[in-house]
Amino acid sequence: MAISLDSNGPGVQDYYCGTECTWCDGCGDYGIMAAVKRALVELKIHPHEVALCFDIGCHGNASDKMLGYRIHGLHGRIIPFAAGAKLANPNMPVIAFGGDGASFSEGVNHLVHGIRSHYPMTFVMHNNANYGLTKGQASSVTWQNQPMNISPNGIPEDTLQSMEFIFSLQPTFVARSWSGDIPQMTRVLKAAIQHRGFAFVDILQACPTYNKFTSHEWLLEHCFDANEKGHDPSDLEAAKKVAFDTTDRVGCGILYQNEDHPTFYERLKPREGVKTTAVEEVKITDVSGLMKEFI
Amino acid sequence: MLRTKIMSRIAFKVTGAQGQGINSVGEMVAKGLKRAGHHVFGYREYMSVIKGGHSSYQLDISDCHIESSQTQVDILVCLNYIGLKRDLPSIKKGGVLLHLIPDWKFSAEDQKILDDNLIQVLYLPIEKILKEHHSRPIVGNMCVVAVVWGLLGRDYDTLKEMVTERFSYKGEKVVELNHIFIDEGKKFLEEDAKGVSIEVPKPDPSCKDDLLLVGSEAMGMGMVHAGCRMYCGYPMTPSTPLLDYMASHQNETGVIIKQAEDEITAMQMVSGAAWMGTRAATSTSGGGYDLMSETLSLNGIIENPSVMVLAMRQGPATGLPTWSGQGDMLLSIFGSHGEYPRLVMAVSDCQDSFDLMPDAFNYAEEYQLPVTILTDKNIAEGLFMQPQYDLKKAKISRGNLVTDQKKLDALKSADRYDPNAEGGVSPRWLPGAKAVTYCAQGDEHDGEGNVAEGIDNAIAQMNKRMKKMDTMKAVLPEPQLIGSQDPEILIVSWGSNRGPIVDVIKDQSNIGYLHYTYLWPLKTEKLEALAKKAKKTILIEATYQGHLGKLISMECGLNLDEQILKFDGRPFFYDELLSKLS
Repeated sequence: MAISLDSNGPGVQDYYCGTECTWCDGCGDYGIMAAVKRALVELKIHPHEVALCFDIGCHGNASDKMLGYRIHGLHGRIIPFAAGAKLANPNMPVIAFGGDGASFSEGVNHLVHGIRSHYPMTFVMHNNANYGLTKGQASSVTWQNQPMNISPNGIPEDTLQSMEFIFSLQPTFVARSWSGDIPQMTRVLKAAIQHRGFAFVDILQACPTYNKFTSHEWLLEHCFDANEKGHDPSDLEAAKKVAFDTTDRVGCGILYQNEDHPTFYERLKPREGVKTTAVEEVKITDVSGLMKEFI
Repeated sequence: MLRTKIMSRIAFKVTGAQGQGINSVGEMVAKGLKRAGHHVFGYREYMSVIKGGHSSYQLDISDCHIESSQTQVDILVCLNYIGLKRDLPSIKKGGVLLHLIPDWKFSAEDQKILDDNLIQVLYLPIEKILKEHHSRPIVGNMCVVAVVWGLLGRDYDTLKEMVTERFSYKGEKVVELNHIFIDEGKKFLEEDAKGVSIEVPKPDPSCKDDLLLVGSEAMGMGMVHAGCRMYCGYPMTPSTPLLDYMASHQNETGVIIKQAEDEITAMQMVSGAAWMGTRAATSTSGGGYDLMSETLSLNGIIENPSVMVLAMRQGPATGLPTWSGQGDMLLSIFGSHGEYPRLVMAVSDCQDSFDLMPDAFNYAEEYQLPVTILTDKNIAEGLFMQPQYDLKKAKISRGNLVTDQKKLDALKSADRYDPNAEGGVSPRWLPGAKAVTYCAQGDEHDGEGNVAEGIDNAIAQMNKRMKKMDTMKAVLPEPQLIGSQDPEILIVSWGSNRGPIVDVIKDQSNIGYLHYTYLWPLKTEKLEALAKKAKKTILIEATYQGHLGKLISMECGLNLDEQILKFDGRPFFYDELLSKLS
C-alpha cells in the first residue's frame, strides 16, 4: 500500500523515547532500531502514522525504546497480529519484528502463511541465531557442532536452511542485511516498507553475549552488498544463488523483489473498489436484506 | 387399522446415511410448515464423517413457539436400513413408519414393537420410481418430502411453489423433475396409504412471516448488525456454520474474511484488527479455545476489546465432535494464564444469538477486555422459528474511545493505562490517530505501556484492570426469571437448556426458571432472594460436574438443592425433562 508522504516530515528525535536501553553492550538491536527510525524518518512517516509490532525476545524490548503505535505481543505470534491490524486499516504502514526463535520455531507456521498470504506488511527478522533473552539456547538456525546453553554438545538436529525455506514459499520481497551496517539496513527497510506485499527482511544480528560464531567482526568480514556488486533483485534465480550460498561470503541487500503479485487485501473480492477501511466502517448496520433468505 | 391422532405437539424424524440428503428433506418440510403458520423446531444428529454415518433430522411441530425436541416421534422416515433396525422404539403409539427398503423383513422382535404400538408401515418403492424416470437417487428425496407432506395433510400446490422457488436457479428442467417426484409421492399416498395421516397442531397465522434459521445464522447476522467488519476462523464443529455464514455472505456485507491457518492465528488476527480499531470476531470449539487462550490473556493485559465465540461440544479432546455439551463453561471463565478481567456470556436461542451481538461488542469496547460468547451445537445448528428482528433496538457504544481531535491533542501517553482512571476504564485511542503514541504492552507496564516491574506499579495496574470487573458487574443485567414469579421450585440454568426448560414449565404455575445470560462476572442477588423463598432449587446443565452450581457456590455460598445433569452429547429432550421434573 502506498504511504502518503508528508512534506513536513519528522526527525529521528521525534521517535525518541526516554526509556533506558536494556540491551547488552554491542547488541545488534541498537543498530537495527537506529536504522528502523532512519527509514521511517526518510519516508516522512510520523510516529502516529506507523504500527510497530514486536514479538518476544531481546528485540521485543525495543517496544518501549522508541515511539510509534506499538504492540508487544506473544512469543511467535506477531505476524498474524500485525496482519490483522493491517487488514483493518490498509492505509497504515505495519512493521512486525521477530527473532529467529519466534520465526523458525514457535511461530514458523505464521511465517509460512504470512508469506503465502501476501499480507501487505513488513517483517523484520532479528536473526542472531540463538535465543538471547532466555540466555543463549540454540535456535533452528544455530550452526552445527556449536555448543550452546542446554545443548553443550551442539544441536542433535540439522540446522534449518532458512533462505531455501523462505524462497520455497514464493515470496515477493526478500532482503538480507546485518546489524552493523546502518545505511544498508536503512535502504533495505525503506524498500521493504514501500513494497506492495509481504516484505521479508532477514537481519543478521550480532549477539556479543551468546553468539560466538557469527560475531560483529565475523559479519563485518563476511557480509557484502550484493546490489552494489550488480545483483538485480528482479532475477529470481540469481537471487536464490546469492541467498543460498553463504559458504565464503554473505550477500546482502535487496535479494528479490516482485511488485506484480497482488496482496491478500487486493484479492478480497468484497473489498474491490471500497474506499473506506474496516476501522472506519464500524457502525450499526442494516441487515434487513440478510433477513430475507430466512422468511 | 387406520388411525388419526390429535396432539398439540408432534414430531417427524428422517434418518439415513450422511450424504443421502436428510437435511434438505427436513428443511423443506420445516419451511413449508412455517409458511403455513405452524411452529417448528429442527434438531440434527450426525456423526463426524462425511458419508455413511447414521444421522437424523427431526422436526417438532406445535401450536405455539417451540424450542425443544422429544425422544418420541409420530412419523419416522428411514432412508436406509440402519434406521429400521435402530429407531423403531422412537415411534409413538399410532405413529407412521415410512421406509424405502425393498423386501425388508422385520425381525420378530421389531414386528412385535410395530404391532404392539399400532404403527403403520409404509414402503415407498423409490428405486422403481427412480428407474421409471431415469433419475439420480437424490431426487427421490422430493418424493419422500411429498409423502410426508401428504401425511401431514398439506396442500401440494404450496409444496410445488416452494420447490420452484428453491430450485429455479438450477433451471426449468430441475424444477420440472422435482414436480414429477412430488406427483409420484402424491400418487403413492393416494394408492397405497389411503387415509393414513397425522394431524398437525392448529396453525398460528401470526408466525407465517417469522424467520426460520439456525443459531449460527442468527449470530452471524447479529455480528454484521453490530458493526463487525472482520471475521477470522479455523473450521471446527460446531463453530464452522458461523464461519460459513460470515464467509458466504461476504460479497453482500463486505466483511473481511480470513480462514486462518490455525486458531492461534485467528485469535491473533482478530486481536490485531481490534487494536487497530475495527470490530472483529472469531469462533471455535473447546480445543481451538485452548489454543486461543494465550491470546485472550494478552488482550486482558493490553486492554484490547476482542470478541470470540466458543461453540461447545462434548469433550475432552475430540470427544463427541458433532454433539453438544456445556463442559467448557468454567474453562471460559478461568482458562488461560494469569488473572485478568473478562466477560463471559451465553446465548440460548436465535433471539439472543442476534440480540446479544451488539451488546457483546459494546461491552468489549466499553470495558476494553476480551468477551467470550458461549453457544453450543444445539443452538449453533438447531433450527428455530423467530420473529423478524427489531433492527431499531441496538445502539453502538464504544466506551472511552477518543476520536475528537481536540481531545486527542490533550492526551498524554500515560493516559492510555492510567491506573487512576475512573472505574479502571482509561482512555483508548486508535493507531493512526494524530496524537501521542503508546505501547499496547504485553509485559506489566506503566501508563504509557513501558515495561515496569516495580512493586507499586504492579499492584496499581492489576487493581486498575480488575476494577473493571466491578464496574461492569454493576451495569450487567440480572438473570431473567421465566414462568412463576414467586416460584416454589426454582430451576437455575443457562444456554441451550433454556428451550426445553421453557417448553416444559409452560403450564406449571409453581415453577420458575432463572436463566443466566451473563456468567462472568456472576450476579447472584436475585438468585439468593428467590432461593430463600423457594422450597427447592434445581440446577439443570449438560455437564458432569455442574459448573454453574459450583460457580454460584463459590460466589455467594449458596448450594442448589438438586442437579439434573447429562453429558451424553444430546440436548435435554422435552419428554425426558418433563419426566425428570415430575
